[in-house]
Amino acid sequence: MLEFLEITVDKFTFKVAADRFYNSEGVWAKPEETLIRIGLSDFLQQRSGDVAFAEVKPVGTALKAGDEVAVIETIKVNIILTSPVAGKVVEVNPAMETAPEAINQDPYEAGWLAVIEATDWETERLNLLDPRAYFARMKVEAEQEVKRDDGQKT
Amino acid sequence: MTGRKPKTRVVIVPCSGIGKTYGTVSREAAYDVTGDLRPAETQLVALSMLVLGDETARSAVAGNPTITIDGCKLACATKMVRESGGVVAQDFAVLEVYRRYKQFKPQGIAELNEAGEQLAHALADEIVGIVDQLTKDSSDNIQSDGGQIG
Repeated sequence: MLEFLEITVDKFTFKVAADRFYNSEGVWAKPEETLIRIGLSDFLQQRSGDVAFAEVKPVGTALKAGDEVAVIETIKVNIILTSPVAGKVVEVNPAMETAPEAINQDPYEAGWLAVIEATDWETERLNLLDPRAYFARMKVEAEQEVKRDDGQKT
Repeated sequence: MTGRKPKTRVVIVPCSGIGKTYGTVSREAAYDVTGDLRPAETQLVALSMLVLGDETARSAVAGNPTITIDGCKLACATKMVRESGGVVAQDFAVLEVYRRYKQFKPQGIAELNEAGEQLAHALADEIVGIVDQLTKDSSDNIQSDGGQIG
């Protein structure tokens, strides 16, 4: 059973899965033995909007941390997602081709993007945010967005 | 001309999302169908009238097959038709339609870009297919009942 850190800001509730790491833009990295599964945080998917298309780099692509790993087109924006770790893409979620809405429906499980064979996970995880650190960062960003939206309404 | 008037007029209820691109696509498609492509077989009902509880609008959706076009996953059009006692014969979600026509990326709000217009036309064509099926079914039923209603 997944455990979450959770916060409600205005009418939105955001969850941060407690069993993985995050880069600053909200891409999570979950170690699974020797491999790293990646995906979008709940906050990132909610702020981005309903996903229309997701294009993930194909299996075999070599990545450095910070390289583009996927492009997501939503009803609001196109966003380039960067890899939280260096390594090689060894699996892409087939749902990204057929049902990318899984990102919105289940960002921490069925909506995963890819699995990466990390080059040096033990070192790179030090550059990522643990769940509490990401939660604190996300909270600030969420509150700023709500304030900005309120400002636009008045 | 003495062509038989269809007994069923399919009601079209689009999204009311003003200021949203996908809502605009839904309304443009609805206008295409009810104004140009199948004006005799369809009627447009504004979602806002259902929200306000307008009796004419409620009667229209309660008494006719209804096609809803939702601009987002909240699916307000579909929910409101059901709450108004209507039967949703088919619900369309603009995002799902866009996934079938990736080349038509809609942009703009008050005025759609060309791709958005093309997406609206593509959606309208899909709606027409359903309208034709519904009106054909209705016509078949009337004929098998000896031309009587009900």
